[in-house]
Amino acid sequence: MQILINGIALGSVYALIATGFSLVFNVLKFSNFSHGALMTLSAFAGYFIAAQKGWGLVPTILTAVVTGALISLIGELVAFRRIIARKSSSEYFFVSSITLGALYEGLVTIKAGANFYNYPRFFKNATIQLGNWVVSTSDLLMFSISAIVLILLVYVLNKTRIGRGLRSVSFDFETAKLMGIDSTRAIQTAFLISGALAGLAGVFLGINYTLYPTLGGMVVKGFIASVIGGLGSFPGAILGALLLGMTETLLINFVGSGYSPVIIFFIMLAFLLIRPRGLAGSNVQEKA
Amino acid sequence: MALITSILTFIFITIVSVTGVYILTGLTGMFSLGQAAFMALGSYVSAIMVTKLGVPFIPACVIAVIVAVLIGFVVGLPTVRLRRDYISLVTLGFGEAITSLLNQATNLTGGASGFTGIPKITNIWIAGGSAIVCIVLAAYFKNSKYGRQCIAVRNDELAAKAMGINAPRVKMIAFLTSVAVTAFSGCLYAFFTTYVDPTLFGWKKSAEWIIMVFFGGSNSLTGSILGTFLLSGMPEVMRSLAEYRSVVYAVLVLLIINFKPSGLLGEWELTRRNIRALFHRRKPDDSNGNYTETSKEIANDGPTRS
Repeated sequence: MQILINGIALGSVYALIATGFSLVFNVLKFSNFSHGALMTLSAFAGYFIAAQKGWGLVPTILTAVVTGALISLIGELVAFRRIIARKSSSEYFFVSSITLGALYEGLVTIKAGANFYNYPRFFKNATIQLGNWVVSTSDLLMFSISAIVLILLVYVLNKTRIGRGLRSVSFDFETAKLMGIDSTRAIQTAFLISGALAGLAGVFLGINYTLYPTLGGMVVKGFIASVIGGLGSFPGAILGALLLGMTETLLINFVGSGYSPVIIFFIMLAFLLIRPRGLAGSNVQEKA
Repeated sequence: MALITSILTFIFITIVSVTGVYILTGLTGMFSLGQAAFMALGSYVSAIMVTKLGVPFIPACVIAVIVAVLIGFVVGLPTVRLRRDYISLVTLGFGEAITSLLNQATNLTGGASGFTGIPKITNIWIAGGSAIVCIVLAAYFKNSKYGRQCIAVRNDELAAKAMGINAPRVKMIAFLTSVAVTAFSGCLYAFFTTYVDPTLFGWKKSAEWIIMVFFGGSNSLTGSILGTFLLSGMPEVMRSLAEYRSVVYAVLVLLIINFKPSGLLGEWELTRRNIRALFHRRKPDDSNGNYTETSKEIANDGPTRS
């Protein structure tokens, strides 16, 4: 039971990564590999500001979220705007995002060196007693904030004007444009939200582990989650992330943290062989 | 002099790896972010063969390449039928898995502290010769039936399928060829530095190779190799700026992608006809005609059997 709770908390962070990644994937149909480095960058921004000004938890998270969102917007302008306008093939999006990721990581390394950093301790009590179970405060916090954010996101996507615009653009770029939807705005919104999610996930990972320039490697977990759930599907991403979080905590408990990435990789391969569409089902073939 | 020789040897080894990446990324349009993990496989398998089992160098390389190809087949099997995004995501996961495996299997690989005591066999001639052989092979591959099918799949997978090309098979062939070449570069690397550790083979390395391919021109083998030469020689020239290296790389490539998306050389290849055209001050005849020509050829051949 204890493992299950830890797994859900970990899974909720993976869900933040996976949804942020899916959002951009849905609109532009490419895998945004700068997502991981963006997480690192905003987590570090949160760290430096919090450590220097001695701020508490909430301003730290807010700084990281705002930084993530802004940088993501700038990244869209610098790396993707011209490619979108040119309607290039998806290869250029790939290369652009990989390069952007290398750029972010390089910037972090210049500022922070290859050192490890620890967030200041935000909580007086490291654990909370809930009935019979002991839950660590950071896990509880991660889970509750992620849940709130994800519910909010689903609401925005399904019920508001912005969400409808975003969904129609991701459904059919050209037609949405003809129907008078400002597609540039929609793409910017997608990057904005995705960046904010990356910032949030970055801070959580930083609190949970330590902070180091290649923290972005954790994004692999988000990618695996979205592959298991079905590329580009939100419910799939969230479900896949929760499953992954639980599997991973179980594996770490039984076989140790060293071999668990190997086993998870094989689970993913098997999953792709048996059900390539993922849990939720999405388009897996290249469309014309 | 020794420094220059060692820099050149490194560049040659990188050229071998990038040739592999070119076949995958430049020709077929697939991105492997775990390509460096295949290099790691090549390094470790050949090193273990030679130091622990006493196998001579060349058979050890052959075995290492075969092992890497077999593992590549397992990795590629579920992904070649799907969108091309999957191969990047799956290989990225594969890279992580290999790194943690190498870190864990301490008594076989030396774990995080690295594998030491590999004899030094690779010298500049072996590296240079291998680079030339790999380039020739890649050029041959590009002009072969498979190469043309790869380009067709890259440009439009659906249309290629409609022309009778077995797209998953073509993708698999390209993937395995590139895995073999990259694993071979790993053997060269291990027997040059005499020391390997798991951190050398992260996704950054794979990303760097892809960047080199695109810097020189993803449609041109000549361009990819030129890109490798420039980008892997650059950090040696400006050593004082080592920290800024990846930033400079990234900015350069972003500029190229935004303003000259076909890379430095575009589709220009170093062939006899093009060189002659260069000296006669005429424009090389394929500013963008090269690929349409190729796809026409395929179309004229009728459904290609594969």
